[in-house]
Amino acid sequence: MPPPLPLPIQLAWLIPIYGFSGMVLSLPWATGWIKRNGPRPAAYLNLLVTLLAVLHGSWVIREVIQIGPQHLDWNWFSAADLNLRIGFDLSLTNLAVLEFVTFMSLLGQVFALGYLDKDWSLARFYALVGFFEGAMAGVVLSSNLFVSYFLLEMLTLSTYLLVGFWYAQPLVVTAARDAFLTKRVGDVLLLMGMVALSAWAGSLEFTDLYAWVGNSQLPPLAGTLLGLGLIAGPMGKCAQFPMHLWLDEAMEGPNPASILRNSVVVTCGALVLLRLMPLLTISPLAVRVLLAVGTISALGGALVAIAQVDLKRAFSYSTSSYLGLVFIAIALQQPAIALLLLFAHGLAKALLFMSVGSVIATTNCQDLTELGGLGTRMPATTMAYLVAGAGLIGVAPLGCFWCFGLMVESLWAQHPLFAAVVLLTNGLTAFNLIRVYRQVFLDTRHPKTKRAPEVNWLMALPMVSLTVLVALMPWVMARIDTVPGIATFGPTTAIAVVGSGMAGLLAGALVRLDKFWSRSVIKPLRMVQDLLAFDFYTDRIYRATIVAFVAGLARFTNGFDQVVVNGLVNRIGRFSLASAEGLKLGVSGQMQTYVLTTLVAIVLLLTSLSWFHG
Amino acid sequence: MLTALLLIPFLGALALVIWPGQPAPETIRRGAILVLGLQLLWSLRVLIGFDPGDGEMQMQESISWVQSLGLEYRLGVDGLSMPLLLVNAGLSLVSAFASIGISQKPKLYFAMLLVISGAVNGAFLANNLLLFFLFYELELIPLWLLIAVWGGKNRAYAATKFLIFTAVSGVLILGAFLGLALVKGQVDFSLTPVMSGQLSMGAQLVLMGALLIGFGIKVPLVPFHTWLPEAHTEASTPVSVLLAGVLLKLGTYGLLRFCLGLFPEAWARVAPWLALWAAFSVLYGSLAAIVQRDMKRMVAYSSVGHMGYVLLAAAAATPVALLGAVFQMVSHGLISALLFLLVGVVYRKTGTRDLEVLRGLLNPERGLPLTGSLMIVGVMASAGLPGMAGFISEFLVFRGSLAAYPLATLLCMVGSGLTAVYFLLLVNRAFFGRLAVTPATEPIADARLDIQLPAVNLRDQVPAMVLTSLVVALGLVPAGLGRLSESATTAMSQLPALVAAIASAGVG
Repeated sequence: MPPPLPLPIQLAWLIPIYGFSGMVLSLPWATGWIKRNGPRPAAYLNLLVTLLAVLHGSWVIREVIQIGPQHLDWNWFSAADLNLRIGFDLSLTNLAVLEFVTFMSLLGQVFALGYLDKDWSLARFYALVGFFEGAMAGVVLSSNLFVSYFLLEMLTLSTYLLVGFWYAQPLVVTAARDAFLTKRVGDVLLLMGMVALSAWAGSLEFTDLYAWVGNSQLPPLAGTLLGLGLIAGPMGKCAQFPMHLWLDEAMEGPNPASILRNSVVVTCGALVLLRLMPLLTISPLAVRVLLAVGTISALGGALVAIAQVDLKRAFSYSTSSYLGLVFIAIALQQPAIALLLLFAHGLAKALLFMSVGSVIATTNCQDLTELGGLGTRMPATTMAYLVAGAGLIGVAPLGCFWCFGLMVESLWAQHPLFAAVVLLTNGLTAFNLIRVYRQVFLDTRHPKTKRAPEVNWLMALPMVSLTVLVALMPWVMARIDTVPGIATFGPTTAIAVVGSGMAGLLAGALVRLDKFWSRSVIKPLRMVQDLLAFDFYTDRIYRATIVAFVAGLARFTNGFDQVVVNGLVNRIGRFSLASAEGLKLGVSGQMQTYVLTTLVAIVLLLTSLSWFHG
Repeated sequence: MLTALLLIPFLGALALVIWPGQPAPETIRRGAILVLGLQLLWSLRVLIGFDPGDGEMQMQESISWVQSLGLEYRLGVDGLSMPLLLVNAGLSLVSAFASIGISQKPKLYFAMLLVISGAVNGAFLANNLLLFFLFYELELIPLWLLIAVWGGKNRAYAATKFLIFTAVSGVLILGAFLGLALVKGQVDFSLTPVMSGQLSMGAQLVLMGALLIGFGIKVPLVPFHTWLPEAHTEASTPVSVLLAGVLLKLGTYGLLRFCLGLFPEAWARVAPWLALWAAFSVLYGSLAAIVQRDMKRMVAYSSVGHMGYVLLAAAAATPVALLGAVFQMVSHGLISALLFLLVGVVYRKTGTRDLEVLRGLLNPERGLPLTGSLMIVGVMASAGLPGMAGFISEFLVFRGSLAAYPLATLLCMVGSGLTAVYFLLLVNRAFFGRLAVTPATEPIADARLDIQLPAVNLRDQVPAMVLTSLVVALGLVPAGLGRLSESATTAMSQLPALVAAIASAGVG
């Protein structure tokens, strides 16, 4: 009998529970049962359990380093040939991502304490974030598709509720609806894939699935459909084209949730795709779709981001764009690079959103055309923005520079096209970052930015800590063992990456930015600008196609139901009433007729019975 | 032991009716709650005595009644009926609890409620076809009265429609049962499956077809569903709870017990068509629900959609699918009861169920925040979000049916996606946004900032909260219900195979 596992590992299942318990603990304040002393205790309790999750996670990491990766699982439900298990894989990669998720959640929650200081439903926010965090921690650790799906759907639900946090606002209402429905489409497709896998492969453990896919005899069509179903879920979660619309609208929600959504939630989605990656060998079409989707999202997202005038939206599209790069890396079977990019992007993007959140909290404004001159007023925020920007693009030797270098190096030989996509995205993102920087932090002061003090310590503390962390990224990345090491690319690649970034920076620094004429006066240019600003009119295309189709079908069904089905029923009813009225007059009163009718009926009945009998 | 499950509600009803004088409605309600509480306790006692490992009928009791007719008083419970008994006991109690403010003939009202509860128990317990039919019909008249007397404005139309549809259903079922006895040539109304040696396939198909349509009306399956939305819209909240939560289950129970159970061969023959019928029913119900303006109608059409899953599972008849059917019956019972309760609260407090009119009910101080929060949980459960009862049920149904009927299963999954669409519309329209309960004609002049909905008594929300907890508990820990029903559903799934084996052995 093997020696029992150390206690922290045995109790690793508690890590997702911490988040969920935070939700339960917040309920008395969220529902208003406890009204004394305001909602703050709920926030403190959530911070406490999140801290516990972080500490427990790091303890588990220490143990795992000593005794190697572990696997925990419990039977959840079994019937006949179906066996659903709850499984957690405690590998170093998973635990590193777990620490990333819980730590970001902790920082985000501290930030939220400052950002939502005056919100009456602070406790509800913390309850939702606790739910969110628990689901994410579970997704990250899960070792089978069933648990991943289970928790991904919970993420969908909590995203819906977090986006709909300020549910009285009209834009929030549509945003929450779209976020839920878009993700739900992806989830239902993933569910189809999962049910099919469960029926065909028997087990949903990823390791069993990998073994199954090696010698499965699926017909090509089934394999293709399966592959498409499996990638649809992560596509929705990661806001990839054509399911990217929700992330833009989700920016109507409170900013602390946006921090998490743009960094760790998308990471969770991509992580599930990463786990599904070996299964995609079954479907070459799915891989091609992934590449196409990644490319369109990377370039399209970067372009659309440039045309936005809303501070948060300018960067939410950039999230779609970076996740597009991750999709390309996954499709080309580069899991290590995908993970590194997720990590580097997640940290830097979270910092960027903290900085943006500080600006919004101070100025109560997120319209780029009304901001300006904050650079000297808010030094910590400006610093955070600059470091985050540097971390996102390949110019300074921070996080994404090394990722882009590795990616370009590994793709250049066989897939030069996708290497070019990486470089182009890099340049476009640099352009967008410097454009926003000029509009928000440089430029002259505007009425809304005249009195702009630095944010309070609750927001500044996580922001500054994260600034330091992002600045130290290369060191952290070198510590996380990646197989080739992070600096294994040649000077040519480095020059290409820096060059593309610099080109973007230069162009962004030199382009004419006019706040008054933010919409160009030159017609062709204006049309392009509108096309991008309205996200290629995706929402209108949806409304004219899918939404119109479903609505039309629903109206048709209802009309059919009312007129044909129900109408027929009512007509039969009326007919029988009318015929009864008619028959009433046709009664003759003759005894012989009655007897004859009865006899004929009996004979008919008996004949039909004997026919059955025979 | 099982007889007590009939005696408690029937004697309770009798006591209520002959009770001297005119007690206050509240007192009568308490009395009914007491009786139904007793029934719930007794059902739990039956559960304790129940052996989940045994797939056969248990705790059988029988008294020979009218021997010449083949009518035998024979009760028994197995893994299929046990969960439904519990659902019936629980939801009857919820329904009595929710019957607040019955001023008109309260004695009769609560007596009818008890009779329905007892008759449903009887139908689930009956191990004799004729006995089942008696109870099946017995529940009909009280429900008709409940709709026709205590219903809404258009209640006469709805109640008559309900009565005619269900009476036709009863006639078909009785006809099939009698026909079975006639063609078999012996008055045997026990629950033994019919073998092909005894009966030609044509006769089997005709008899099963009659049963199928009879129970299809009750389920209801499209196109026999038109009585349901009308009945729900006109029925009061507690009656809707019973109707959706318990009475529709009689239909699906009948499909499993009598169509599949008595005619496994004929069932296997038509199963592919049934799967497509199920998919059609699911999509039809879901699509029709999208455009409904009345919240109750929307929930009613969602029932049409969700009961289709049970037919799909029954058509596939694999062990997992049949277990899924039981899960779906239980979870639909709990979830739809919850939704009807909450819609009832909204209707009582605002006076309308119109989704074009209601806005922003989640408002924390002046609206219905708790009702809204529970509603969000309820619709999410109905849409099949994991962590709640709907998900595991749908997963089992789909997982069990996919291999046999891939197309129908995928279409049903699309229906599950559509559920999210219409229920999200419901929540978004009625609960999000700015509080309003009357039609907005002039947005500025009617900026009704002074709406103050009367607060909901927390005690009245207890049933909804209990149901919500049950829905979540079943979603998180489904293993208990699985163990309770698995051996029975597995035994049932073996029927077609068994019959085929016997038939081939007989030929060979």
